[in-house]
Amino acid sequence: MVEYGVATAHISEDTATAPNVGPQASLNVPYDEMLTSRGLVRPHYAALDARIATLAAADMAERQRVLERYFLLQGITFTVYGGESSTERIIPTDLLPRIIPAEEWSKIETGLTQRLKALNMFLADIYGEQKILMDGVVPRELVLSAPSYRREMQNLYVPHQAYANVCGSDLIRQTDGAFAVLEDNLRVPSGVSYMLANREASRRTFPGTFRAANVRAIDRYPDLLLATLKSMAADWRPNPQVAVLTPGVYNSAYYEHAYLARLMGCPLVEGRDLVVHDNMVYMRTTTGLRRIDVIYRRVDDDFIDPLTFRRDSGLGVAGLFNAYRAGNVVICNAPGTGVADDKAVYAYVPEIIRYYLGEDAILPNIETYLCREPAQLSHVLANLDKLVVKAVGASGGYGMLIGPHASKQERAEFGEAIKADPDNYIAQPTIQLSTAPCLVDGAIEPRHVDLRPFILSGEKIVVTPGALTRVALRKGSLVVNSSQGGGSKDTWVLADGKETQS
Amino acid sequence: MMLARVADSLYWIGRYVERAEHMCRLSDVMLNATLDRTEGAAQVARIALAAVGDSDRAHLANPYEATLAMALDREDQGSIVSSLALARENARQVRDQITTETWERLNLIYLKMTGPDAAKSFADGSSAFLHDVIADLHLFRGAADATMSHGEGWRFLLLGMYLERAQLIGRLLEVCFGDRRRGAFDEHFALVSVLRMSCALEPYLRRYTADIQPRKVLEFLLLDEDFPRSIRFATARIEEHTTAASRYVEAGHAGPERLAGRLKARLQYADMDELQVAGASALISTVLDECVAIHQSIYETFVHYSLEMRLPA
Repeated sequence: MVEYGVATAHISEDTATAPNVGPQASLNVPYDEMLTSRGLVRPHYAALDARIATLAAADMAERQRVLERYFLLQGITFTVYGGESSTERIIPTDLLPRIIPAEEWSKIETGLTQRLKALNMFLADIYGEQKILMDGVVPRELVLSAPSYRREMQNLYVPHQAYANVCGSDLIRQTDGAFAVLEDNLRVPSGVSYMLANREASRRTFPGTFRAANVRAIDRYPDLLLATLKSMAADWRPNPQVAVLTPGVYNSAYYEHAYLARLMGCPLVEGRDLVVHDNMVYMRTTTGLRRIDVIYRRVDDDFIDPLTFRRDSGLGVAGLFNAYRAGNVVICNAPGTGVADDKAVYAYVPEIIRYYLGEDAILPNIETYLCREPAQLSHVLANLDKLVVKAVGASGGYGMLIGPHASKQERAEFGEAIKADPDNYIAQPTIQLSTAPCLVDGAIEPRHVDLRPFILSGEKIVVTPGALTRVALRKGSLVVNSSQGGGSKDTWVLADGKETQS
Repeated sequence: MMLARVADSLYWIGRYVERAEHMCRLSDVMLNATLDRTEGAAQVARIALAAVGDSDRAHLANPYEATLAMALDREDQGSIVSSLALARENARQVRDQITTETWERLNLIYLKMTGPDAAKSFADGSSAFLHDVIADLHLFRGAADATMSHGEGWRFLLLGMYLERAQLIGRLLEVCFGDRRRGAFDEHFALVSVLRMSCALEPYLRRYTADIQPRKVLEFLLLDEDFPRSIRFATARIEEHTTAASRYVEAGHAGPERLAGRLKARLQYADMDELQVAGASALISTVLDECVAIHQSIYETFVHYSLEMRLPA
């Protein structure tokens, strides 16, 4: 059925951004998750749409309040440090789930599996024989000079060649409705606790619709993660001790670290709880030292071991990397995985997939210009007003120029920065993220969203049938990072009609 | 097996929660008592302020201000809100070790105490406010008791609570019965109030009937076997939990369980008639000193032990 109130809101928004463009020819109109270009509700959204239609604005507001209270009570907060005081806020969370039908998901799932398989092979290769560099598929200096390349990892045995045990790729849906990969996060991707918490919350807010929709369960993520981590331990350790390493309570993702540790039943350790002795890693317990076999670290490479990496870091533990080299402990994700999600290496991922697997990439990349190539550089400089330029080393929405939204002066300044250090920049066309209905100030309006599914790789690769949908809550904004005013919402991956929920 | 840092945090959650509850009760009793302008009321205010270590003379004259500061002053590390904030901060650091039910209770109290409405609801009815905090803290204890595994972590939580309790009640008794006490402590009203500060009035009445005398009050708060806020009761629990926690530590650590056992025995076999002759003050200060020693010993045994001793050969 069509709910006119909602539909009108969408259409007026679309025409506002792209006036005088009919729905058929509208290449620049973002894909809407709920409505077709003619304003009809897509079938997989019908039940939710019908449910919303029966709710008054006050009901919705009440549900939103219940949701926010749930997050506050659970302590799912991050701390905002101000001048005098610090306050705790919840991550803005949207009430309305984003729904992905089964057939679309199955393509995403095979695509992500393929991609992570190839990236792990790539990592094993460049930290081993470097065949792909010899064959000239990826430029040698691009890999070896990347700041995230870790010479220390060279020729180090990694079980199952699983370098990136936890991967959170960012997908976006382009205007034609096809998903593409915007970014691979292979270092310490976060957000999985929000995926799980959002699910808990939306089960409470739309219980009936949830039941009827046959949504695939994601609550097994913690035990799948634990199984993945255990599969990384040496065979001769029959009951491996897994620990989660956190930078501590002041880290913005601390809630997630504690959450995963709690649900896996593993100790949550900080650097100061650990001791390395004789190349073995121990944690200080009340009854003495106890050996650790696998560390799921949520601390960046740079900070895990002051003896090997940054000397001024107090977040890790001295000697950890040597213990790793000696094979007495496994660090997950492996140090040095960042080189495979480097923004410049990203451009070569389709080639990488073809090289190792002999297949075409199932999920395409976004077109990317490498400023290190002179021809592409001049194209970028000439089209700064149309492109998004990103610094290769930066993440989280920092060090970025969004051409169409920047002033002339900003573009000029950024152009100079690019010319000064072209290797450090890539550019992509301005991408229209798809929009999904969100509850904003009591009304339902479309907002731009992306999709971050989580993939585990150990003995085998598992894609969790769910994801974190990040939302740019500011109207018209395309930036979904939580550090830049983004929020999140639950993501329902629907089960195939035939299969029952597992 | 649990991380030393975690045990440390759980122990402090116990201490801070106990401290907050005690302060609530003290403030509430003082506030109620000082509605009268009698000699007894003055004694109560003096005792309560001395027991929390508040030496501000102005507060004697203005118990409401004193209570307000005691409850909601975030600058003051010893206030109720600060204690609860610290308890909650510790809980956050060991969020993976306590159950969600337990965490929710504590987080809720914290949100209430630090929320924008806290000052107003205190002003609207301070007694009801304090009463609610105490009730919420009871819910926290109940949730912890009913949902957490009664294993090692639980024991550290209770160790913190009972050690803090022994010290708080000890300090209260020191103020009332110690050698260095100031002013008289004989008014019936003051005696009743001290019982109220320890949540002991009703259990006392059942034990001794309404015959309220300083000697019996002392005996009850110091030596009663079954009353949960008597020092004897607290030391028995301390002994129980230290012994259980020490079970897994290698032998050769003449640790906290020995100190706790000795203190427990002292109180278990104390004789009220002898105490009357020798003066209770000495025993009370022994209790306080021993509590400090037990605290240090817990740290040396479980938390800040030397690595040399524990490294595998």
